[in-house]
Amino acid sequence: MARIDAVRVVQDPAYAAGLTDEDWSALSQDPAWQEMVGEQSEFIAPVVAQYGHRIPGSGSAPVTETQVPPIQPKFKILGTDIARIQGYGIVTDRGTYTENLRMANMLYMRTLRSRYPHAKIKKIDTAAAEKMPGVAYVLHRGNLPKEYQDVTLGGANPTRGLFSEEVFEVGSPIAVIAAESEHIADEAMRQIKVEYEVLPAVFDALEGMKSTTPKQWNNNLDGTTIAVTEPLVRGDPNKTGDVTVELVAKKSFEQHAALELTNSLSYWDGDKLNMTYTNQHAHGTRSGLAQGLKIPQNKVRVMQTGWLGSGYGYRSGIDLSELHAAILGKLTGRPIKNMYTRYEDFVTRTHRPAFHNEMKLSANKDGSIVSLRAKVIANVGAQRAGAANGSWFNMQNAYNIPNVRLEAVDVMTNTYKSGPYRCVSHPNGTFALETTIDKAAYAIGMDPVDFRLKNLNETGNPDTKRPFSNPGSRDVIIAARDNIGWKQNWHAPKAKQVRPGVYHGIGLALHACSHGAGSNPSTGQILIHSDGSVQAISGATDIGSGQRTHILMIAAEALGVKLSQITITPYVDTEFTTDTGGTNGSRTTNTGGRGIYEAAIDARKQLLDAAAKKFITDAAAAKPPQTITVTAADLDLVDGVVTLKSDASKKLTLAQVVQSKTPAVIQGKSEYRQPTNWEQTAWAAHAAEIEVDTLTGTVKVLRYVAAHDVGRAINPFSIRQQVEGGVVMALGAVFTEELLIDKATGLPLNPNLLDYRPLSIKDVPTVDTVIVEKPKEYGTFGAHGLGEPPMGPPAPTIANAVYNAIGVWITEMPLTREKLLAALK
Amino acid sequence: MKGFELYDATTVQEAIDLLRKNTDRAVKVVGGGSDLVGGVMKDWVTGRGMPIPEVLIDLTTIKELTGIRIANDGTTIGAATTLTDIVDSKDLQGKLPLLVKAAESVASPLIRNFGTLGGNINQRPRCWFFRGEDFNCYKKGGDFCYAVTGDNRYHAIIGGELCYIVHPSDTATALLALNASAKVVGTAGEKTVTFDTYFIGPREDVLRENVLKKDEFMTHVTVPNPPADAKWGWTKLKDRQVYDFSVVSVATWFTLDGGNWKDGRIALGGVSPVPYRAKIVEDALKGKDIKASVKQAAAAIRTVSRPMSLNSYKVDLTAGMIERTILEALDRK
Repeated sequence: MARIDAVRVVQDPAYAAGLTDEDWSALSQDPAWQEMVGEQSEFIAPVVAQYGHRIPGSGSAPVTETQVPPIQPKFKILGTDIARIQGYGIVTDRGTYTENLRMANMLYMRTLRSRYPHAKIKKIDTAAAEKMPGVAYVLHRGNLPKEYQDVTLGGANPTRGLFSEEVFEVGSPIAVIAAESEHIADEAMRQIKVEYEVLPAVFDALEGMKSTTPKQWNNNLDGTTIAVTEPLVRGDPNKTGDVTVELVAKKSFEQHAALELTNSLSYWDGDKLNMTYTNQHAHGTRSGLAQGLKIPQNKVRVMQTGWLGSGYGYRSGIDLSELHAAILGKLTGRPIKNMYTRYEDFVTRTHRPAFHNEMKLSANKDGSIVSLRAKVIANVGAQRAGAANGSWFNMQNAYNIPNVRLEAVDVMTNTYKSGPYRCVSHPNGTFALETTIDKAAYAIGMDPVDFRLKNLNETGNPDTKRPFSNPGSRDVIIAARDNIGWKQNWHAPKAKQVRPGVYHGIGLALHACSHGAGSNPSTGQILIHSDGSVQAISGATDIGSGQRTHILMIAAEALGVKLSQITITPYVDTEFTTDTGGTNGSRTTNTGGRGIYEAAIDARKQLLDAAAKKFITDAAAAKPPQTITVTAADLDLVDGVVTLKSDASKKLTLAQVVQSKTPAVIQGKSEYRQPTNWEQTAWAAHAAEIEVDTLTGTVKVLRYVAAHDVGRAINPFSIRQQVEGGVVMALGAVFTEELLIDKATGLPLNPNLLDYRPLSIKDVPTVDTVIVEKPKEYGTFGAHGLGEPPMGPPAPTIANAVYNAIGVWITEMPLTREKLLAALK
Repeated sequence: MKGFELYDATTVQEAIDLLRKNTDRAVKVVGGGSDLVGGVMKDWVTGRGMPIPEVLIDLTTIKELTGIRIANDGTTIGAATTLTDIVDSKDLQGKLPLLVKAAESVASPLIRNFGTLGGNINQRPRCWFFRGEDFNCYKKGGDFCYAVTGDNRYHAIIGGELCYIVHPSDTATALLALNASAKVVGTAGEKTVTFDTYFIGPREDVLRENVLKKDEFMTHVTVPNPPADAKWGWTKLKDRQVYDFSVVSVATWFTLDGGNWKDGRIALGGVSPVPYRAKIVEDALKGKDIKASVKQAAAAIRTVSRPMSLNSYKVDLTAGMIERTILEALDRK
């Protein structure tokens, strides 16, 4: 299968240099590349800067003419709380969730998976399983049709085939079964006998980096190291000031723990595959399936129902299992229902990598930062992936630091595969930097908030020189500071015992990240039908956070109609929509949203042109006939009615305008390219007041404030939900959530909701959300996306508050009671 | 999950007959099923000593096994009574608040609506090696305990041997403190077993956690009335406030002679393969002024603790929580 290794393009300059135009074209079609465009823009930025002109649709040709969207003196729809279009289906479970779908005659699929972290599959005996009544098909390495034998997903070395002979992770697929019921499939799966040759495995990144660690593929680097990124150097990083602090910050593997398990229902209609799938990017799913099955995209139809038990990043593309389902459907001629188990969702899908950060920061007693050195090591699990330098953004941009050295190493291990998880690597960078910043502030005896404000970088990226647009960094820090009552509540470490053994603490952290920017493609369509009703058509998937409601709001606002006049489907069907990027990277507001905005502006222009003509022809047909001059510029469209600006009594309805033209329909579309001249940045600051019980090691969050610069608040209701949800999710990784592995066997220890412990309603504080609006000179109505940024600040906010409470730095997440009690000893 | 046969028994005798009829098959009685069906069977927790049930006998359809009866000499609760019924019982709130609080600390309202008292007491342990399909441990009939060298942060600090599970039941911990007894029936007849002897550790039989044989089940729990002037306390430390098992829990009641400990019991959950009676602490408190001696008495638990590589924090927690629970009970009006 001719394909380009997208991760290697980014990590291996020599490989990128050798690519032909055909290769770059293939890369642009690659779902892994498309996901990086959405989620890891700074990761791919150097490649786009160098080769962008050869990557179709990358939008790398500089676009500096920022078109500021016309902003009416007063918004009609934006800024108001609007409920989800799917709301009723969500709260009643009447929504068309993929897992609720059934088809007559469908078969249930199950997957037999490796129980060893690194092994060769020597022999598979499926005889007993095949004999079981109700088993329709058992597919494995031995009988995989030849055309699929070279199909792989993700990067090469280590390589993930449909049924690899050498497996690098627990959970790697060995065989799949299609049966008449889940019970039969479950039982048949356990009748398959597998003979393994167990190979040496490595679980820890620092272990993987050693030269003595056995190589698992032909690797030029030590052990299982995948990439050592060229360091980012600014000034003289060896310069030191009055005080130098160091710390090692670590984060464990986290998993999304989405409520709805990954699942699909698929069938073949002749030579065309139809798949309804829990995904964040229907068009990316389509290109993934088309590539994996070696058929053109127009032979694949992907549906995303619009009701999804969340995504959080791991549902942008397909996994091997979706290809297995498609192949089983083809071989059996029957629909295939492929429902993951919770174990499979936890273990075989992607994770936030485990991180190890070595930090060193030097400052002068006057509060100025002199230098920062950081080495970020990411354990990206059993695949080729990149995550470490994604942690640099905050370190690079948040503060004025004249001397910097940032290093990044990505290490493969036989553990949980990494992939986008809400804000990807940024929360790690923010955790590492913001605890170091606090430590430095305390070391020089300065209020940590004043220290931040003194060193704040409000200009732009110091290395690329791209400016920030109207940055709200100072505003969010001040909002968080004042709402938590910092000045009254902050005190010296361990200075406030509130009850015997219980200490009060307060902490604050700043987050900057690249998520929420717009990216290409930004497309959409607006149809105005002959009866004047309006339809918004967008390929942007809704993953539970209201994206399609926002697209509807943006379309109505830009076009100038009432919300009641316009509709959008909750679902996305690739047959009738154009790709507008995945709902990942917090980019839908500024990507699909900008696409629909442009389509609405286009439709509005066409409509007003037609209305001007109609005013003229109507006047000419009047008795007596009149000759008037009217152009689109003389007209306005407000609340779905066209009026003459100079005489508001002269009105036309949308139906009247559309019916005046042939054909009687208006089709607005978008030809938009995102600007490249801004360092598009999300800003957030969080603050918390806590109590630490030194007997039980329990940390109780008393109050939590989250201030976010959203540029422009499209739907404040959704903003509050996104912020609260993000804080709760991130606090899970602060207090309880970490996906563990047994170091003797490599087997997962807690891949279930009981033992992984996402927080419950009783564990989380009320979140006081402060919305800061500093409109940007890019984006949709000046908005900046928000889905991911709330994940960034909670870990350092709590770690800083714990230090303030008990005078001990705990910089290893999660901050469990055993770590806390051990630190107090 | 593997398919299975389900029988709705309507009388205790019918359940016994079904057990007798299926002696050569893997047969189990089931209450709410949140652990046996939703846990053990769904997750294929199985091994040589633990076949996946082919036959389930539902006890919740037996009328005589549900309900709470208050009598002069004590309270009797049917094994199929739901935890919600126990939590909501005005009688129990007045008579046995310790049991009510323990029941209320279990899982979530949804689980308590289904989960039964018998099911809660007789559920299988939560050890993540035991629950992992690919760990063939002692408790499932294998030949290894993965907790000894593995991640044992939640494992036993007292009484572990061969196997280091902790008993998962909160109601069992409270009932041990309350000196309850269980009525057990089976194909060989019926018997009454006090909670002091109902649970068995791995040394006696690693494959089970209580006296129940394959053809026996619990029908009722009887709790004697605690003295009218008894103080009581219940603390359950958990890592998540809804839907979690105890890291350490403490159940106690005691009577006073002035400020001195006269009589009482202390039971611990989350620390041992059985609900553990902290007799060593009770003895240290006997006749002593509680406020003056509780810290030292609670510290006596350290002398019987044998922590593993990652769970010594639980020893500190246990000592501290015994002290805190008793002091809070003392102050309770």
